[in-house]
Amino acid sequence: MTGVVAGLRLDPYVVPALDGVAYGLLVFVAAAGLVLCFGVAGILNLAHGTLYAIGGYTAAALLDGGWPSLALALAVGVVAATASGALIAGLLTRVAARSHLTQALLTFGVALAGGSLLVGAFGPDDPPVRVPAALDGSVAVAGHRYAAYRLVFIVVAALLAGLLHLVVRRTRAGMLVRAAVDDAEMVAVLGVSPARIRVGVLAAAGALAGAAGVLGAPIIGPGPDTADAVLLLSLVVVVLSGLGSMTGTLLAALVVGQIQTLGVALAPSAAPFLLFAAMAAVLAVRARGLATARRAT
Amino acid sequence: MSLTMPRRRRARTAALLALVLLAAPACADDQGAAGPGGPVKIGLLASLSGTYQAVGKDIRDGFQLYLSTHDGRLGGRRVELVVADEGNGAATAVPAATKLLKQDRVVALTGVVGGGSVAAVYPLLNEAKVPFVGSNGRPELKDVSRVWHTSYLSDEPGEAIAQHVRDDVKGSVYAIGPDYQGGWDELRGFTEAFAKVGGRLANPDGRTTFTPFPTTTNFTPYFARIKASGADAVYTFYAGSAAVDFVKQYAQSEVKDLPLYAAGFLTEGGVLNAQGEAARDIYSVLNYSPDLDNAENRAFVAAWKAEHDGSPTTYAMASYDAAAVLDRAIAAAGDDPTPERVNAAIGQLGQMASPRGTWQFSPTTHAPVQKWYLRQVRQDGRALSNTVVGDLATVGG
Repeated sequence: MTGVVAGLRLDPYVVPALDGVAYGLLVFVAAAGLVLCFGVAGILNLAHGTLYAIGGYTAAALLDGGWPSLALALAVGVVAATASGALIAGLLTRVAARSHLTQALLTFGVALAGGSLLVGAFGPDDPPVRVPAALDGSVAVAGHRYAAYRLVFIVVAALLAGLLHLVVRRTRAGMLVRAAVDDAEMVAVLGVSPARIRVGVLAAAGALAGAAGVLGAPIIGPGPDTADAVLLLSLVVVVLSGLGSMTGTLLAALVVGQIQTLGVALAPSAAPFLLFAAMAAVLAVRARGLATARRAT
Repeated sequence: MSLTMPRRRRARTAALLALVLLAAPACADDQGAAGPGGPVKIGLLASLSGTYQAVGKDIRDGFQLYLSTHDGRLGGRRVELVVADEGNGAATAVPAATKLLKQDRVVALTGVVGGGSVAAVYPLLNEAKVPFVGSNGRPELKDVSRVWHTSYLSDEPGEAIAQHVRDDVKGSVYAIGPDYQGGWDELRGFTEAFAKVGGRLANPDGRTTFTPFPTTTNFTPYFARIKASGADAVYTFYAGSAAVDFVKQYAQSEVKDLPLYAAGFLTEGGVLNAQGEAARDIYSVLNYSPDLDNAENRAFVAAWKAEHDGSPTTYAMASYDAAAVLDRAIAAAGDDPTPERVNAAIGQLGQMASPRGTWQFSPTTHAPVQKWYLRQVRQDGRALSNTVVGDLATVGG
């Protein structure tokens, strides 16, 4: 790809490349929860997109153009999505030991019901989202105009990603979670209930999706199709990352972001297939995803 | 374990049974067609759930508004309106239409949001020999002898605005739209008429740029291409959530200073609220605007605002007109308004006075020959609204 880029004028691709970072980081924060669920608790949560939508609708309902409303929306959205994640964990306790198909059916049902409830509560239209007035404009970046909110979002999402990395790497909760990936039985023998880890992980996934939903509402806005779109992107990230680590997830999300923006700008005629072509290519070359899994099985 | 499975299966059977029982009473009421002098049954099929439910509800409410402002009668007869849910498309529209035609034996069918649904319901109409007065979607059909539309054909908005864009823009225009049948038709209508009047497209290969639909939610890469093409204006068509994304991102992009022209659906109805300030100054072409100055429209808008928040949309207006068409056709069909007679009467209607101005059915396509209006999103009191700024061509047929 780089050879092709160098041959052309670089200038028109600056904004798409920058936007790819914003988009990629949003996809990362949204998908990180699903990677945690699937990688740690072994739960395929197809209602994950709905958790994002909860955050998005919260943002649409509460944001009024001021900073306090953003803080309020973030708090309410994260709490609501966390509670919904814990609720899904509760529903899943009886089928947790069963196959992924059973989990998928149950969470898919939850996603359909949740989607209908959200449309019932907020209406069938895409509600408007008002970003803080100070960020509602565009700024000059390398001679181009770029949305101010997205630029700030890049910084905030990068901070979130760093924080997540620290939590998983350095805290006791993170260690337990990583231990559960490697050897769930041993963790159970140590006296930590796998069920509690499952609830904790699903709640944390809900919190991440809720935060992504609130902060990302001006980028991927709430609406009847939001849950499906976010779930699809998250599943692609899951496949690309190979469920290995947070670093792999971040890498995969950034690749998805660049494919969706820079890739589309470079090869618009291939836009409908680019994402899935990349996914097929990664699967064909390396069945584990972009970053090799740490485990040797 | 061995105990739980059968118990669960039993529970599932019970749930299924309950569902069947719930559904049964809904099928029980089956009345015959209207006798002479009695009420007439009209079937209205529209998306009351799914992606297009905002449009579907406008269509239902527009028809009901006509009934409630006309004493619940069409052609002097009491109307029994049977409403059915079209859902997301053909798969849900066909069973609903089958029920309306076979079981309810409606005299005429109206509504239908999706062009795909119309195509799927079309064979049923021919079988039942019932006229269809559609108020939105319109695919290519071979035989339109029983099919009428009060809306428009998809390539007409672009055709109507092409000359104006040619006169107004000094330079080339970038054409971009969604990659599906509706998008192809809307953009083809514009590009063909635009080329005919000597306009030049800014797209690098001289052809419209189509974005994957409905997967495109981020238009930034396309705006970068528009910038690189050196275009002086942009023509587009998007509807629903894609319209919201496109307009909001356009307003913050590096092409935000280029004038944006669009088929009216880009800023019509609920999407305009979602777009907010980002939609200001966008030009669009449509067959209707709530601020048109004629007696029919003043009455229509006043009646609509008495029952709903906000102004009526073109969808509601087209459905209101479908009721007006049936009103006059049933009156003209005589003592026994059979589907055949109503259909024949629709063909003889001539000019219709409507909130959009006067129009009539084209004898060949059975779609309206009507005037199109240039509108701009401007401040109207507290809210932004599509304000008519001029008349465009009369197109249709």
